[in-house]
Amino acid sequence: MLRGTKSGLEFVFAADAGDAVLSDLTARLSERPDFYRGSRATAIFQGAPLESDAFAGFLDTVRAHGIDLHGVYGAAELGPFAERHALAYLGEPPRPVVTSLGQRRPRKVVAALTERARSLEADFAGAREDIARRRARGETSVAKPDFAKAAAIRAGAASAGPTVAPPVLTVTPGTPATLYHRGTLRGGQILQQIGNIVVVGDVNPGAELVASGDILVFGALRGTAHAGAQGDTAARVAALELAPTQLRIATCIAADDVKHKAREPEVAFIRDERIAIAPYAKAGLR
Amino acid sequence: MAGRRIVITSGKGGVGKTTTTANLGAALAKRGYKVVLVDTDIGLRNLDLVLGVEKRIVFDLVEVVEGRCQVRQALIRDKRFTSLHLLPAAQTRDKTAVSEAQMDALIGELAEEADFVLIDCPAGIEHGFRNAVAGAREGIVVTTPEVSAIRDADRVVGKLKERGLPHTLIVNRIRPEMVASGEMMTVDDVRDVLRTEILGIIPDDEEVIDTTNRGEPLVLDPNQRLAPIYLKIARRLEGEKIPLTRLESQTFLTKLFSIWKAG
Repeated sequence: MLRGTKSGLEFVFAADAGDAVLSDLTARLSERPDFYRGSRATAIFQGAPLESDAFAGFLDTVRAHGIDLHGVYGAAELGPFAERHALAYLGEPPRPVVTSLGQRRPRKVVAALTERARSLEADFAGAREDIARRRARGETSVAKPDFAKAAAIRAGAASAGPTVAPPVLTVTPGTPATLYHRGTLRGGQILQQIGNIVVVGDVNPGAELVASGDILVFGALRGTAHAGAQGDTAARVAALELAPTQLRIATCIAADDVKHKAREPEVAFIRDERIAIAPYAKAGLR
Repeated sequence: MAGRRIVITSGKGGVGKTTTTANLGAALAKRGYKVVLVDTDIGLRNLDLVLGVEKRIVFDLVEVVEGRCQVRQALIRDKRFTSLHLLPAAQTRDKTAVSEAQMDALIGELAEEADFVLIDCPAGIEHGFRNAVAGAREGIVVTTPEVSAIRDADRVVGKLKERGLPHTLIVNRIRPEMVASGEMMTVDDVRDVLRTEILGIIPDDEEVIDTTNRGEPLVLDPNQRLAPIYLKIARRLEGEKIPLTRLESQTFLTKLFSIWKAG
């Protein structure tokens, strides 16, 4: 894996990395031959060193691209390896190496789940059908962001008196992005986003968050949250205090009948076609 | 035959419209009628909380009016009385999201299926009030025995008359001991000012606060002191002639006793 950090480029070799990784990296460098020219770089080995000749060849390629690969991080056995290639041995990797960052992959849940979330099958059968129909038509699962129509209706009512703009704080159609909101969201306020929503503050009852991606509340989530509103069943809702009026993920809906006071951050996600809630630290999600 | 379409209104806020709507609705449902409660307080909905169904709202009145879902999808059936339904207001919109004609059509559609459609009106006499009244064919004005509430109730009675809606009056939060000591207006005083037929008299009782916070209409619990009073009002609404219990003209002991059977 190749990544850029504050101190320069890093070539990270996982414990099970083989020669294939070298050819991948070589290919990646040759995609943009001069992009990294002049960079300083280090190599980080999470396991044993690679076969020496192959690495020597790789080193030549790297230098041919103008990258100054000067040192090696890794276990003590990397010392002689570094010396052989005329590189400085820099010691243990500087920090735990994150292998996937911002990278979506199938999520595996290992934690035992609390039984908090109950789906309301009977009540919402009709609503679910409607949402499924919407999605089949390629519309959003919740009909909220239909502003053209709402505007037309308001325009029609304009003669009756002054109109008030809808309490929509932010709508960014088109490219997915993350909406960052700092402050308390109060009843009647709504955030809608194609992408993710991050709220630093509380979301009070009556407030609503609708995102096509994930929702993260760094505070208490007491209002309604709809993650994966366009059908992403891998979307999640996480909050320091997860006490929502109602949770929706993709086409699943859940409400909590029991008053609940969790003492730790929790995360909600879909499991077995229902919304499940687990302590964030134990959910094994990344 | 289409059901009755009744708006519950007051002009002034905080006199008990929403509590009255919830309990009267529950009382009618308990008596076997199919009842739909409609919260028209768009942007400041409350009736869902009083009924304890706030977590079950998926669609709302505005979405029905704008054709984004079916009426039956937005109706929330009460878990205790299956003949009691709520059509919740939108929380993230405002009163101008709906027009009078749309409201009238919607309430008409609900009345096709229900025996009673009770419309919980927002405070004030502006857009929200006009919408709520547009859907109704009769009205119940809720007031308390205070000069400010009565002045507003008078204004609302006038508005209902302008529209030709028949209407009755519920006097809420009467405190018999204060009436007896002359500190509170009597029901007769109220009637003299408003010149309106009285549908019911409801004593002030802290159990209302408790049941409201728990999201349970008190009519559900026969042990609640006010439950028989709401049931009596429901029967009057059906057309039964039940005389009002006079709270103010009694001695102390009978007064205490009378709260149990007032109304």
